[in-house]
Amino acid sequence: MPSSFWTVAWAVAAKDLKIEWRTKTAFASSIVFAVLVLAVFYFARDPTAVAALDVAPGALWVTFTFAAMLGLNRAFLLERENRALDGILLAPVPRSAVFLGKLVGNLAFVAVVEFVSLPLFVLFYDLAIWRQLPTLIGVMAMATVAFVSVGTLLSSMVVRTRFAELMLPILLLPFLIPPVVGAVQLTSRVLAERPLSDLVGWLKLLASFDIIFVALCFFLFEATLEE
Amino acid sequence: MSPEARPALVARGVSRRFGHRVVVRDVSLEVGGGDTLLLVGHNGAGKTTLIRLLAGLLKPTKGSVTCSGVLGMVAHNSMLYDALTARENLSFYGSLYGRAAVQRSDELLERMGLAPHGDRRVATFSRGMVQRLAIARALLPDPNLLLLDEPLTGLDDAASGTVRDVLTDLRAQDCAVIIATHQLVELVDLASAVGFLVAGRLVAVEPIEDRDATAVMVRYRELAAGA
Repeated sequence: MPSSFWTVAWAVAAKDLKIEWRTKTAFASSIVFAVLVLAVFYFARDPTAVAALDVAPGALWVTFTFAAMLGLNRAFLLERENRALDGILLAPVPRSAVFLGKLVGNLAFVAVVEFVSLPLFVLFYDLAIWRQLPTLIGVMAMATVAFVSVGTLLSSMVVRTRFAELMLPILLLPFLIPPVVGAVQLTSRVLAERPLSDLVGWLKLLASFDIIFVALCFFLFEATLEE
Repeated sequence: MSPEARPALVARGVSRRFGHRVVVRDVSLEVGGGDTLLLVGHNGAGKTTLIRLLAGLLKPTKGSVTCSGVLGMVAHNSMLYDALTARENLSFYGSLYGRAAVQRSDELLERMGLAPHGDRRVATFSRGMVQRLAIARALLPDPNLLLLDEPLTGLDDAASGTVRDVLTDLRAQDCAVIIATHQLVELVDLASAVGFLVAGRLVAVEPIEDRDATAVMVRYRELAAGA
């Protein structure tokens, strides 16, 4: 009996995470990058002239997006080694299940990078965020789903190009602008302890990006696999 | 193939162009259960592209390929993950085909002489071991059509013998096999027919009568000179 959609998606995600756990290449580079960016932003700020709250949301999302990009690059590059993607495509499995598996693997990877970076961010900017933490995590989750879904799709597209590592940021950055702007706006409001009514508009926008990006990526994934 | 049997693979007028370069031109062939077709041709004749077209990994620019049943493939690249063990690789690919394929993993490791190395990472394998594991991966779904591109590359005499035994068994099990190879001496006695590929064109498909690799090469040169 052929494997179900969910079995295939889980197998792909588990395989990706197992390989990353073994090699830790993308994780190590993403964390080092995140620490570096947070440190640079910290030392670049003059605390007497610029309040932490003014610069912290931007610093946080620059860190998250670029650190995540290193992992997204890796997601399909490991399928390029030995043309393992061909082995997956030979199997009679729904391509959307492969995409879901890749997406879940990437989301798990980016989530770990974000949760390691977040305490450093709190430390560098001396922020008391315990009360806002659940809302902040919600915002992080929504924005991450949007940019990771597009990143997963684009990394599958560029993996066969000669300069895949270079192409991904070039193609991905324009798509990142809407969700990252939304995430920065929301983070800034969350950290300033603004009421929920101030967040609703941006939350709706971010939710719309999530729905549109995820649906489009599922729809377009099969086309990106064609040589 | 008996006249009433349904062919395992039918290709009709298949062509493939990369940019302005036509790599495979108007190839038509039929392979039935139990048939073993050798594809011979010089480097650049289009053997690998034709195998990828037959496997459905490339879309033909013109023509169609119809494959009935389950397909297995061994390509130039192993399609294996270096960071995973041999067993994990088979388990992952097996999970794409269903529980029966996963359960076949250990049996295939045994059959290919890799059982003692099942828990070693593929990165530590020799070229010959990788090739045997790639063949085990291709056999996971219990295929009724097997496509092999240079299957004996990197194999020593003992491993070549194992592969030849596997191919003999597959023929007895009514599996259709297409092999693109330069190693005629080792494989010609397994074949029921030979296809001559000259500059992307399948100029002839002829039954093998005297199992003589030299005679096949002489015939190839005649056809290449006349094409």
